[in-house]
Amino acid sequence: MTVRLRSLAPGLALGLLVIDVVGILVLSVVTPSFLSTYNLFVTGRDLSILLLVALAQMVVLSLGQMNLSIGSIGGLVAIIESGLMVRYGVPVAAALVAGLLLGIACGVINGLLVYWTKINSFVLTLGTSYVFAGINLGITHATPFYHIPAEISSFGQARIGPFPVMAALTIALTLLLATFLYQVVLGRQLLAAGGNPLAARLSGLPIRRATLTAHAISGFLAAVAGTMLMAQLGQGQPTIGATWVLPSFAGPIIGGAALAGGSAPVLGTVLAMVLISLIDDGLVLVNADPFWVQFLIGALILGAVVLGRTSLSDIRAFLKISPGEPRGLESTR
Amino acid sequence: MAFAGALRTRITARFTGGTLLLQVALLALLIVTAGFWIFFSVAASGFTSDFNLFSLLRFAAIQITIGFAQMVALSIGDLNLAVGAIGGAAGMFAGWVMQSLGLPPEVAVLFALAVGLLLGFGNALLITWTGINSFIVTLATASLITGAMLIVTHARPFSQLPDSFTGFSEVEVAGLPISPLVLVMLAVGVALLVLYRNLRLGREMLAVGANRRAARMSGLSVDRVVLLTHGLSGALAATAGLMAIAADHTASPSLGSDWLLASCVSPAIGGTLLSGGVVSVPGTILGGVLLATISNGLLLVNIDNFWITVFLGAVLLLAVVLDRVTRAAGGVAS
Repeated sequence: MTVRLRSLAPGLALGLLVIDVVGILVLSVVTPSFLSTYNLFVTGRDLSILLLVALAQMVVLSLGQMNLSIGSIGGLVAIIESGLMVRYGVPVAAALVAGLLLGIACGVINGLLVYWTKINSFVLTLGTSYVFAGINLGITHATPFYHIPAEISSFGQARIGPFPVMAALTIALTLLLATFLYQVVLGRQLLAAGGNPLAARLSGLPIRRATLTAHAISGFLAAVAGTMLMAQLGQGQPTIGATWVLPSFAGPIIGGAALAGGSAPVLGTVLAMVLISLIDDGLVLVNADPFWVQFLIGALILGAVVLGRTSLSDIRAFLKISPGEPRGLESTR
Repeated sequence: MAFAGALRTRITARFTGGTLLLQVALLALLIVTAGFWIFFSVAASGFTSDFNLFSLLRFAAIQITIGFAQMVALSIGDLNLAVGAIGGAAGMFAGWVMQSLGLPPEVAVLFALAVGLLLGFGNALLITWTGINSFIVTLATASLITGAMLIVTHARPFSQLPDSFTGFSEVEVAGLPISPLVLVMLAVGVALLVLYRNLRLGREMLAVGANRRAARMSGLSVDRVVLLTHGLSGALAATAGLMAIAADHTASPSLGSDWLLASCVSPAIGGTLLSGGVVSVPGTILGGVLLATISNGLLLVNIDNFWITVFLGAVLLLAVVLDRVTRAAGGVAS
């Protein structure tokens, strides 16, 4: 597993880095407004939020599971926080703490369900995603909580030059997550459990703790992303998170994560989300149909996994290692 | 031949072994559904009115067909996240053929089914050529299909569908509160029942779903089975899309965007295994009826539409957890 991590991730990350740099250069030349302070700020702010969404998925994917409820958690947290502040006058700090704890709790519920029942996390988190989203809509009746306190909404607009202040939070959380996954024992155990669950169980790794931790982190990151989007919009929108399923998977998968688990490409995910932001922003700047974003992200996911798959089998053929089983059997990516 | 024979015996053993449990689960599902019908007949005024039963059963027929499209993919252990995207694209295509080209509904239906079939084939080819998990492939193609549909149609609905088409969903069959769409769903159900019970292809699909490696080692052409399965899943999604635009009287660009839960709930409640190899057509039908009954009944007793979402999510969770518990009790490892 470590071999796969070391051999695959840097090459893929380098490729993505090159594409990102080329993309930035092309956009700077083609549309001069790309480098305007305002555009960089807006793009950076969207990226700050969607990167957390992608990392929330990546941490669960690294365990070989998935979380379809990231968007619902983000939306529910934003609604609870804004509702507490606007409707009940709860102090900002207390409301935020309550919201983030709620996000963690939602993640722990997912983790407990997956661990106890051993049922496919796809169907379990599909179920919880509808429960969380339904509670959100049941509370709000699809009407936003307007006029959240200025401390929060100004955080959403704050910038230093072209850099959004919320990017600092995202960068800090990304570094913390990378440190946890690569340096902390529990993080390594989580990756090991994802790489080979049977071996991990036989060698006595704390599978339960790893599962709960991964899902709790996922819920926490979703909660932070929901809070940040609420701050950006200046209101508690019930639709927050409704469109996060695709970007949450696109980032880690383009970044080199395997659905079967065992890999946590933080750098790849970051670079993939930068690429998606560039595409998104580029289409806006050239006044293209916004629906192209959805189309291109789909194409990008396919292209990335097909390329990744091709190079892997090419290497195998080159080294003349006979594959353990025919191509396509119990495929993991 | 010996291999094929052995394989058939194994599948049959597994199939019948599962059937007893399935029958118990089906009976339980039937009792739960009947319980809800009795409860709503008493508690919700207007539940048993002709008008309500008509729209309930029509809604159920569409939900069940959506569930069939997913069930077929689940039978080989795959997922089809593009069920909604294909259904939406096929429905919009049919709307365009009827409204803009002015062609008769029969032609539009054939074209839409062909679109569904081809998109399903596309999924299958990507899955078999690349060896990539069906989850990722259909996640990506769902985004591609919906994106392309929105780009082409500029997200404009087709709302002037010919009466000869929309009228089909409004008639009452034999004076009963039953839409012809229910008969379409039942016909599809019978066809699927024959496929999985009597046809070689159906057995091969279940074999691939139960153990893909064993199926391949026994000389089964797994790629062919995957191709036909996803083609069928796409055609069924298109059928559901056609039924939905007939019932809605309009082909809307948001068609299919909320089908994911519906597509998974009915099969999962009905005992279809997500890991593949076990399907239940009657279970999916009952699951869809239960789903429609709960949505319809809760609305009638004035429970907010939004809370119904919570309920449906909870029903899905409960169903899969109960399924796991009964299987564990029955000693069947899945």
